[in-house]
Formats: sequence, structure tokens, C-alpha cells
Amino acid sequence: MSTLGTTERPAAGGRFKFGDSLAGYGFLAPWLVGFFLLTLGPAIASFYLSLTDYSGLGAANWVGAENYVRIATDDPRFWTAMNVTFTFVLLSVPLKLIFALAVAVALNRGLEGLSFFRAIFYLPSLVGGSVAVAVLWRQVFAGDGLLNQALNMLFGFEGPSWISNPSTSLYTLVLLAVWQFGSSMIIFLAGLRQIPQDMYEAASIDGAGKARQFFKITLPLLTPVIFFNAVILTIDAFKAFTSAFVISDGTGGPIDSTLFYTLYLYQEAFTNFRFGYASALAWVLVLIIAFFTAMSFLTARYWVHYDD
Amino acid sequence: MTDATLSTTTIAPRADAAEPSVSPWKRALLYALLVAVSFLMLYPLLWMVASSFKPDSEIFTSTGLIPAEPTVDAYRRGWGGLSVSFGWMFFNSLVISLLVVVGNLFSCSMAAYAFTRLRFKGRSFWFTLMLGTLMMPQHAVLIPQYVLFLKLGWVNSILPLVVPKFLAIDAFFIFLMVQFFRGIPRELDEAAIMDGCGPLRIFLKVILPLSTPVLATAAVFSFIWTWDDFFAPLIYLNDIEKYTAQLGLRTFVDSTGTSDWGSLFAMSTLTVLPIFILFILFQRLLIEGIATTGMKR
Repeated sequence: MSTLGTTERPAAGGRFKFGDSLAGYGFLAPWLVGFFLLTLGPAIASFYLSLTDYSGLGAANWVGAENYVRIATDDPRFWTAMNVTFTFVLLSVPLKLIFALAVAVALNRGLEGLSFFRAIFYLPSLVGGSVAVAVLWRQVFAGDGLLNQALNMLFGFEGPSWISNPSTSLYTLVLLAVWQFGSSMIIFLAGLRQIPQDMYEAASIDGAGKARQFFKITLPLLTPVIFFNAVILTIDAFKAFTSAFVISDGTGGPIDSTLFYTLYLYQEAFTNFRFGYASALAWVLVLIIAFFTAMSFLTARYWVHYDD
Repeated sequence: MTDATLSTTTIAPRADAAEPSVSPWKRALLYALLVAVSFLMLYPLLWMVASSFKPDSEIFTSTGLIPAEPTVDAYRRGWGGLSVSFGWMFFNSLVISLLVVVGNLFSCSMAAYAFTRLRFKGRSFWFTLMLGTLMMPQHAVLIPQYVLFLKLGWVNSILPLVVPKFLAIDAFFIFLMVQFFRGIPRELDEAAIMDGCGPLRIFLKVILPLSTPVLATAAVFSFIWTWDDFFAPLIYLNDIEKYTAQLGLRTFVDSTGTSDWGSLFAMSTLTVLPIFILFILFQRLLIEGIATTGMKR
């Protein structure tokens, strides 16, 4: 990953010429400027700010670890946000993976119209993050929304307002996330294509049924793709923002039931102008994501099967 | 026949031909299931579009898709529903999205070219750092970036949304292009060098013309993601005249509450329309982009 692999060739005589370096750094210049000014510099500054009480105006006073201590011991909304975010991640990621895999396996059975279905299932992923879909979701799960109209028509059931009820509001957002399983499904489809067909032929000659083939061939050979999807989906789920913001009018309500971590971070930074505290919150999020990613990679060797 | 011979090699040629032994019965069931799921998936979107052509009274009484009395009244009301017309916000979105496309193509292709084709000291080091930035959540740099743009006096302009893209901030696209550039035979560069071409001419005359597929993929995704972006405009744009369509739509939700669903759906439909169009035009490109690189969303 970190080297350039096959394209790496020793330069003539094994020495770099000045002209080569000039061209190299010339082409790399925009990225280098961006890297120092917009990534590395801000990352360092953000860590520094997290140790201050900076408000955007005036001076940034050094407060040491105070922000982090407050996060851990004296901020109930932080724990609410953690609770909401983890519930969201732990529900939406596995459900998305299961749907994406199930549909991909179904589509991979030599059906006509593969590209048609693939496109239809992918469309929600493409538009799902937009404000328009959040607006739509708000209506679908409202008291007089589409879902309750349908329930009423089909079963004569008078549903509550799912969006404004704190015990159901988060689940409407989980559903919105699961609805966008399409891009994971496409990655699964690509993975399924890589599985050698002769393995299935050999297995069926040995008398293995479809279910057995799925659990003994498809699933193990697909573990690298499952792993990849799981990591990407988890990182994305931790960063979810737009839908909760639009649906709750930026509040994370009702009574903080949809207060996603990023939404809380946004409120602290851009509503309350606690830049120092928000920077600390940002670093806590970075650490959580890094922890999960590292854990996935560490546990991966026990269940991810690489073909080598 | 060809499948059988090919499958003795390692990779099956086409997934379409996989598991041909499914019985007609099961096939029919599978189709029925897929059609049902597709319908459920698409229904909310179709219903939104349909509702935008219904009078308000009808939105709340029918779950059907065909408006009994189709009207474009909701579009008329929605278009002028804010102090600035939606047309203006669409124009803002379009300008920002197109500039981002240009910025990403320009800066990311240059970086990818340097990483794959040029030899210079520290190349591997910078490449590793670039990959590191891929994993870095934007939140870690969000606030200092905001403060920087504030100090530069760029807040409440499109500069914070566009300028970073000219500095290859979307490392993801660099990575995408690196993967593609690696596949272009190096013999072509060498032949060009024999002909006396320098790095710039090789980049412009050899690499870029051969890279239209990856450039197109990067362009389409850049456009869609920028068009759909809500967070950055929310932070950086304050005046309603500078709003993007996404911000306008959100303001519209606030100002109308839940009273005017018709025009809300009309404007919602308009904001997703460009994405629908790009989706229809570049469907294969988008799907291949996702499949080969595992892009998010």
C-alpha cells in the first residue's frame, strides 16, 4: 500500500537528477500546499485549540486537559450523543451489510436485467444524503405522512408521528441509512464476480447444496469485501449529519433522541462558538474512529480470508 | 461452452452467467421478490415527484402516484417562496460544482502523475502521507480550517468551498487516478521521451488523453457530491443570496414549516433532478467507479 509497487523503477544509474526532482515537486506543488495549509497545519492547530477555551474571537487561553475532562465527567449531552451515534452505527451497519449481501447474491444468479436492478438499488445511495431526501423522510414518517396513510389504508391502523416521538425517531434515520445499501451491494457484486466458478462446480459434484456452498465458499471468499464494506460503512455512519440535521431542524430533537455526534459537534462549534471545546470533541471522534478501524484490522486476521 | 473452458482459469468471466442451474420456479420467485423490493425502494422517491404535481389537499389523501388533477402550481409557489428565487440558488450550486470539478481534475491529476510517473526524492514518503490523509476524518481539521478562512475574510463567499479543491484536498480522487495511471504502459512515456518530450508534454499529450474514463468518473462524482453537499455551505455561506440549492431547500423547510408540502416537494424534486440526469447519463461510469474502488455513498 505505502510503496508504489510495480511502477517503481530505479532511475538510470540509481541517482536522481535535479531536473527530475524539479518536475516531480512541480506537479506535486498544489497537493503539497494543500497538505500543509489545509491538512497538517489545521490538524496540529486543532489539537492545540482543543487545549484552549478559544471562541473564535479574542485570544485562545490555555486550559490544559480541561475540555477533555469536562467531556468525560461533566457533559451529559456528550454521552447522549455517544449513545445515539453508537445505536445508529450498531443498527445501521449490520443491517446494511445483510441487505447489500442478500440482494447482491440474488442478483448474481444469472438473472436477466441485472444492470436494471443494480441501477435501481443504487439510486437511493446516490440521492440519499441530500436535503431533499431528508425532507421526504420527514414527511413519510410524520403523523399524517405516507407511512401512516398506507398503514391506515391497508390495516386501518392509526400510527403515531414516528419522527416526533423520541422513542422511534432514531429508527427512522436507521431506516433511511439502510435504504441506501446500494453502493455496498455494488461492491459485493464486484466481489462475487471474483469467485472462481469451478469451486462451485467442484462443490456441487461433491454433493454440496446451495446453502452449504454459500457458507463454505461464497462467504469465506467474500470476507475481504465484507471487511472492506464494514469498515467504510462504520466510518461513514459515525460521520452521519445531514439527515439528522434537516429532520430535527438542527436540534437533534425530539429531546436529543437524534443528536448525532457530528450534530453535537456542529452545535458546539457554530451555534455556541466553543471552538476549543468543539476541537476536543472532534479529536475524541477521530480517536473513536481510529480505534474502531484499528480494532477491525486487528481482528480481521481471525476471520478475513485472503486468497494467498 | 466458453464458460466451461474459461472457468478452468482462475476468474469467472461474467457474473451474469453464474450459477445457471437455478430452476425456473425459483427464478420466477426471485424476480418477483426483486421487483417488489425495487418498488418499495423507489416508491418514496416516485411519490415525492408525483406529490409535487398534486394540489396540497390531494397529497394528504392519496398514497397513489398519479395525480388526479395535475398542476405545476407547487413549482410556481416554491420557486418564489424565499426572498431569493430558487433559480439563483441553482445558479450558485452550479458555479460551485463546476469549479470543484475543474479544481479536482486539475490538481488531483497532477499529483497522481507525479506519484506514478515522475521520479524524485521523497516520492514514497509523500505518497504514504497522501494515503494517510485518505483515512483522516474531516472533523479533525474542520475548526482550524474555518478559522483560517475567517481570518482570510473568505467566509460568506464560495472561496472556502472551491479553492481547497484546486489544492488536491480530495485525496480520494488522487488515489483513484493513481490506480488508473499505473495501468498505462510506461513504454508510451519512454517513446515520448525519445521524441524529446518533457514531463509536462507527456502529461498533457500522453497521460491525460488516455485517461478520459477516470477523469470522467472523477468529474461526475465531484459534481454530484458537491451539488449534494450540505455541511460545507451551511458553515461557510451566510447570506441568502449566496445560498446553494441545498441550503435554500433547508431554509424553505424552516420558513414554511409543514404547511406547504407541495412546494417543498416541488423544490426537492428540482434539487435532485441534476443528479437523476447525471445518473441516467453516466450510470455505468458511476457503478464501475463504485465497484472498482469501493467509493462511499
